[in-house]
Amino acid sequence: MIITDLEGVSIDAFAEATGWDPKPQGLCRGEVCVPAPGARRDDGTIDVAMAAERLGMPLVHDPEARVWALGPGTTSGRVLSTAIAPDPPLIDRAGEPFRLSSLHGRKVLLVAWASY
Amino acid sequence: MVTVALDMFPEHTHRWIDAAAPTHPSLIDTRHVTGELFGFINIPMATWIDEEGTIVRNAESASIERSPLRDIEIPTDIPDRLKTTLTEVKAIPDHSTEYRAAILDWVELGAASRFALPPDEVVARSQPRGADQARATACFELGQHLERTAGREAARAWWRKAHELDRSNWTYKRQAWTLETTPEGADANDLTQEAGDVYGTSWIDDVLALGGGARYVVEPDL
Repeated sequence: MIITDLEGVSIDAFAEATGWDPKPQGLCRGEVCVPAPGARRDDGTIDVAMAAERLGMPLVHDPEARVWALGPGTTSGRVLSTAIAPDPPLIDRAGEPFRLSSLHGRKVLLVAWASY
Repeated sequence: MVTVALDMFPEHTHRWIDAAAPTHPSLIDTRHVTGELFGFINIPMATWIDEEGTIVRNAESASIERSPLRDIEIPTDIPDRLKTTLTEVKAIPDHSTEYRAAILDWVELGAASRFALPPDEVVARSQPRGADQARATACFELGQHLERTAGREAARAWWRKAHELDRSNWTYKRQAWTLETTPEGADANDLTQEAGDVYGTSWIDDVLALGGGARYVVEPDL
């Protein structure tokens, strides 16, 4: 997740980018919730540094560019913390947005490739 | 089937997609976010998702037909470095027949397929992620952002860090190498994977450091 204002990250933006939803009971992904009292602020933003610490997410900073990158969580020690499929924003050949969740009800064999 | 290209620049994928003329969704991941979320650390890899949106098989190497490169005769009159590269390519494990059969079994039997795994096993079998791998992901993402906003030189420093932190992530390396060695405006990406003058690394050097082609892919555990 790219961040240009560390204090202005909305709860929704954090949830969309990381898959971890800041709820009153903690930071939740599927059936997994990690307690993080105070991380969810009343003004709709999240304490990114606290959430990062609780979820084992690295926060990398480029001071010259004034930008941060928040890495993935490490709580499970694996890439997946749940078997619920993530639903990242992707595009098709025409540049139109596409969500894997639009294929709900069908089996999906998701094959990764690259031009390199 | 759904394909997703882990490519920063969509235009690099178009010639391949157009040539394939796919009838399935053919997607592009310009931020390598599927790598982060599903564990695609090399290509080709695949993961299986059932009708309920649950992953039933973690990301693993996903060839479904044997590459002709595995069976080529290595010419004797080519440079030694190329001979070494081809030798290691031939050593990459090939599970295409078994993996194809496993897919067909799942398509037919669904949850009853022995290749469809329960959630706990899917999580346990997914790629390891410790502090270094997570930081590598953040560094690579920062590099992608800077490539787009500040230019290549700003990106390189973060991509070098990403490569150092997670040497097993081949998409991070191959994306960066290719951007260095492909001339601007070229019709297709350069695939030599030789950007040693910039990154101090290259495909063949890193494969050899890893232990050879036999250890290059995440072998499917069938």
